[in-house]
Amino acid sequence: MTMSRLGPQPTEVIDRSTTPRFRWNGKRFSGFEGDTIASALAAAGEHVFSRSMKYHRPRGILTADYWDPNLLVQVGDDPNVRAGHRLLEAGMNVQAQNVWPSLRHDIKAANGLVSRFLTAGFYYKTFMRPQKLWPAYERVLATFAPGGKVDPDTPHRYHDKRYTHPDVVVAGAGPAGIEAAVAAAAAGARVLLVEHEHAVGGHLRYSSQEPDRAALSELRAALDASGVEVLTDSTVTGRYEDNWLGIVQRSHPIAVERLIKARAKVLVVAPGLIERPYVFSGNDRPGVITSGAARRLINLWGVKPGERAVVFTANSDGDEAAADLDRVGVEVAAVIDGRDGRRISAAQGSSKALEAVLSGGTRTEADLLVVAAGWTAPTSLLNMSGDRPVYDPAVARFFPSDPPGNVLATGGLAGDGSLDELRAHGTTTGKLAAQRAAAVAHRYQARTARALPVTGDEPAWAADLRVPLRRNHHPELYRSDTHGMIDFSEDVGSKDLVAAAREGYDSVELAKRYTTATMGSAQGKLETVNTVAAIAEARGETIAQVGTTVWRPPYAPLTLGALAGRVFEPVRVSSIHPWHEANGVRTILAGQWIRPDHYGDPAAEVRNVRANVGLIDVTPLGKLDLRGPDIPNLLNLLYTNKWSKLPVGKVRYGMMCAEDGVVLDDGVTGRLGDDHYLMTTTSSGAGGVWEWVENWLQTERPHWRVHVTPVTTAYSSINVAGPKSRELVSRVAEGVDLSSEAFKYMEVRTATVAGVAGCFMWRIGFTGELSFELHVPAGHGMHVWEALMEAGADLGVGPFGLEGQRIMRLEKGHFIVGQDTDGLTLGPSTGLSPLIKLDKDDFAGMPELAWAADRKLPMIVAIQPDDPNVVPEEAAQIVRGDTNEILGRITSSRMSPTLGRSICLGQVEPELAAGGTKVTVLLVSGERISATVMDHHAHFDPDGERLRG
Amino acid sequence: MRGIARGMRRRPAKYSAAALAWRGLKGDSWPRVWRDTELKRSYDAVVIGGGVHGLATAYYLARNHGMTNVAVLDKAYLGSGASGRNTAIVRANYLTPEGVAFYDRSLQLYNSMALDLNINVMFSERGHLTLAHSDAALRTMHWRAEVNKLQGVNSSVIGPDEISEIAPSLDTSDHPRYPILGALYHPPGGIVRHDAVVWGYARAADHMGVEMHQKTEVLDILCEGGDGPNGKGAGGRVTGVRTNRGDISTPIVINCTAGWAGLISAMAGVRLPITTHPLQAAVTEPVKVFLPTVVVSGSLHVYISQTDRGELVFGAAVDAVATYSIRGSLEFTEELAGHVLELMPSVSRMRLLRQWSGLCDMTPDYSPVMGFTPVDGFLVDVGWGTYGFKAAPVSGEQIAEAAATGRTPELIAPFALSRFETGELVGEKGAAAVGH
Repeated sequence: MTMSRLGPQPTEVIDRSTTPRFRWNGKRFSGFEGDTIASALAAAGEHVFSRSMKYHRPRGILTADYWDPNLLVQVGDDPNVRAGHRLLEAGMNVQAQNVWPSLRHDIKAANGLVSRFLTAGFYYKTFMRPQKLWPAYERVLATFAPGGKVDPDTPHRYHDKRYTHPDVVVAGAGPAGIEAAVAAAAAGARVLLVEHEHAVGGHLRYSSQEPDRAALSELRAALDASGVEVLTDSTVTGRYEDNWLGIVQRSHPIAVERLIKARAKVLVVAPGLIERPYVFSGNDRPGVITSGAARRLINLWGVKPGERAVVFTANSDGDEAAADLDRVGVEVAAVIDGRDGRRISAAQGSSKALEAVLSGGTRTEADLLVVAAGWTAPTSLLNMSGDRPVYDPAVARFFPSDPPGNVLATGGLAGDGSLDELRAHGTTTGKLAAQRAAAVAHRYQARTARALPVTGDEPAWAADLRVPLRRNHHPELYRSDTHGMIDFSEDVGSKDLVAAAREGYDSVELAKRYTTATMGSAQGKLETVNTVAAIAEARGETIAQVGTTVWRPPYAPLTLGALAGRVFEPVRVSSIHPWHEANGVRTILAGQWIRPDHYGDPAAEVRNVRANVGLIDVTPLGKLDLRGPDIPNLLNLLYTNKWSKLPVGKVRYGMMCAEDGVVLDDGVTGRLGDDHYLMTTTSSGAGGVWEWVENWLQTERPHWRVHVTPVTTAYSSINVAGPKSRELVSRVAEGVDLSSEAFKYMEVRTATVAGVAGCFMWRIGFTGELSFELHVPAGHGMHVWEALMEAGADLGVGPFGLEGQRIMRLEKGHFIVGQDTDGLTLGPSTGLSPLIKLDKDDFAGMPELAWAADRKLPMIVAIQPDDPNVVPEEAAQIVRGDTNEILGRITSSRMSPTLGRSICLGQVEPELAAGGTKVTVLLVSGERISATVMDHHAHFDPDGERLRG
Repeated sequence: MRGIARGMRRRPAKYSAAALAWRGLKGDSWPRVWRDTELKRSYDAVVIGGGVHGLATAYYLARNHGMTNVAVLDKAYLGSGASGRNTAIVRANYLTPEGVAFYDRSLQLYNSMALDLNINVMFSERGHLTLAHSDAALRTMHWRAEVNKLQGVNSSVIGPDEISEIAPSLDTSDHPRYPILGALYHPPGGIVRHDAVVWGYARAADHMGVEMHQKTEVLDILCEGGDGPNGKGAGGRVTGVRTNRGDISTPIVINCTAGWAGLISAMAGVRLPITTHPLQAAVTEPVKVFLPTVVVSGSLHVYISQTDRGELVFGAAVDAVATYSIRGSLEFTEELAGHVLELMPSVSRMRLLRQWSGLCDMTPDYSPVMGFTPVDGFLVDVGWGTYGFKAAPVSGEQIAEAAATGRTPELIAPFALSRFETGELVGEKGAAAVGH
């Protein structure tokens, strides 16, 4: 096969005045603006573009479009680029993939010599002995992985997403799709027309027939005037529930590749048909191409596909290809008409001197073999809509069966017919789509919109009165009397499939899994029906009996970059963060937040809080604003303790358990008004608890009147702790009596703080000191923080971070959910059994906790190493003596600045839980030390006198 | 082969390089992997579900207990459910002695499977990295490492530099969002070709006389003597199953289904505390192999491995909403891609090729339900959540022992259905409850 550039063609899409230069396997080439990479290379005489996966056979152009399995190349750092589709750009560095060491001389082609031993699934049958060598075998097999290379320096470039809510999305801008879009727009619908190729027109684009060209101009003009939004080089990749569509836009002025998410009221599926390769010996040789490829090469890019051609045709597309070849000066040595029962049997010889062998044995020399053996209906979007397409043997392809009412098929997918008939079908489909979209829009509006009242009744659901398209008879041409390639990207032949079926892998899914047919990059677009046909043949059944595989999204592969889009997980910092940064903070990543860990000396921070007063920014604390009369019911259900009688102005601590009784979260909730509460959660549990609450309210107790608003980031939270905290807060707070009689421990007040109205303030204490926790509207967080710092200068106020807080809470023996508890820790293990009220009607986890009440459980206990200078790691195991039997573990440990010794919390088996028990702690170093279980969780101030002061 | 000798009915066509060469030269085709037989009217035991669990059960019934008059029924084709939809990761770095013992046995059986079953299941012992992105996660990793150390399991906490050496494509820089602070490294973990496990068990079981019946849907389980309608329910016993191909009488029915375990058990009048959630997965186009190990990130809900074919296989956590629908969602792929790029920005230009979804039967304590039920002769091996594949060999071995001997083996005693009535949830014995 020798391809070359023809003189200008009336239909061509190239601009011969612009000649972008690029590299192909290191060598310089040039093409024309509008060329694909493949057309430019073909015009320059290249005929081998890749090597096949297993046998490394040379592969040339097959379909010359997006789905061409032989045209996957590496472009710069972009692997698996479709050279049959990607437009040429100046400066491109294009390389062949899967070649070793080079495209022209590939050593692995030697595998072809032993192909009879490398039948499908051969690897399941060997490489078992010696077992030790399997890793080595595996490394060799892995070198056969096809595809391009990932450059480790590839950045995640700019990808943005778009959301759109059109009335009608039309997938495919062939004649029927365009007519459907135009008709729907004319009927008042907002329409998005999505075309896979670089321009609209479908098969008309590469037709040289005068009526086709006239129709194309007419369609383009109508489309331009229609107000339809047109996306080219874009594909509807998936249809999900309720016409939620993923659309990938590959050409975009800024984004590399963009994901568009569309909620279409009606989806019109008009992808046209995909030409199917014919299976015969040598059908994967360079020079064997589909009729579509021949016509595209000639008419779109002015490429002469060969010098002397044999055309095997079973339909009008093949006939037109023969006419096109003849017109541009390719000698058509033979036309074999498949409609007369004649078959092509083999392609032999080299790619430069191909020999076509007919089933009778007649041989014709040529350098090009053009095949038109029929079409595959790309029914993917219908399958994803729940439809199960049906095979029509008289037409040799699948047809839609019964898609849902908001999904309509038109064009080649729906039938054949003349161009006028196809266009008319598109038009009526578009009208129907617009009518149904109006009904859907009315329904949406009626159900959801409050601002815009709906007028009138919902329009009647328009009946589908379309005249079905004719179906033209087409011979069932799948395999000739020889065996050939079925899956070009996986190197799976019909012989492999027959062998697999004989071995018992005789359903489509089993054969697919065993041979890997249809699992390559074209996702079955070219090979599925041939695969089914091969299995049907092996089983002696019909294609309809064997059935087809499930087409799963995406219809066309899309990059992870486009799917990910902009990374939408912002780092969270509180409004006070700039102050921390200006004051020498060391931060720590905690869940979604960056928080102050300490400001240089956490032990000093602790001592200052214990002696004077300290401020900690606890903004990440989860906060849920609850409103409604059923809040006590909700709290009773979620917390283990009782909430029915919490008075206004009081706060209460509560522990939540999951349904298996495992501790889920804890925190305090305060009653701000009759039907108004503020719930706090742990910082890391903020998101999870919100979901947990909503799950109960939305799915289990939908009749309860409670409205939940997450307000974690709406407030900046500051804990003022230490013996001088009352003095400090009193200097900035107005409208609240802070005396210990008027504002008791575990109470909540609303106050104005540093001039900021609407602050919540509650008296609680995680640090064990007298403390006031302020929740300030977030915008004023910094102001209040600075006001406190300024007002407390003479009191010795200073900041403290998470580390200081952790030390102090450990000194007090407060457990942290997720650190001192784990996925197995039941409520009673925390030592808070009195808070588990089994006499309540119900609460999450109650049945399991009722069972647990009678059992001895591992317990959280305070532990002190006998050597006060040793701090066991937070992972160190508690073991039985010198054995490896695990009896517990250290969950928290620190050196206590207040006590001047190491302190711990740990989980131990019940037998060790009593105060005074000696335990053995196995340090990570392997050393075993002795430690003592304490009577109380609190290492410091067990009676909480400082707290209540 | 030692194992197959017992109860063998016909000589298997042995797989080996020599046999491959011989048949290649002679042009001989291979015999069927399993026979296509008529459905009989009576079996000694019927296994419902032709996935890895059901087939392993049938295999061990025949191999270890000489029970060969056994039928495995599947409503679709063998391996059509979760067995062919999982991401094929195996490991044994669990937290409790019971969990470690259970999964260690499974890993052993996977290790010797190629020789036991005479099929290359391509067990790729490539190591398993669980990444920590926070102090809290790192603390958990240290905990697991310490426990594993005492239990003789090879796992340890490694830092960013070592991670970088093992998997250079991971971004171990001081990343702004979810930096990789460390990882639990478990060298014996890896991936297995899951389909080969299905076919291997089916073939080996077939050699011993077990029958595999595909497209055979169980419509009802026939019982007598129970306290419910039609003799079903507690106190009764199984007499057979009704299928779309007719009734079968059998004294033993083993429910090895996933996704439909609750519905199948209800046919015998046995209620299971199971809700079914889909778990989604996806795969990219192939590229040259660059990721040599399994990478898991709990906080990003993603696990990644690269097959020998070059595809990246991604899995995630189960969907939050319980449903039997197995249509994938667009949002899943978006979130997945975002998380993958967080770990490995360089794969931004790789293309997602397909997504799929499977069903996971979740129990309240994230542990399976195995063994006897209140209906005599009706056994279950269900509720395997997201970790069924890892456990298939040992589950089959144990449940077969239970069915054949009438006694519950010690290894699976914690997983009895009765625990949901006594409150002895596996929480405290926890073979599987933590850290998937």
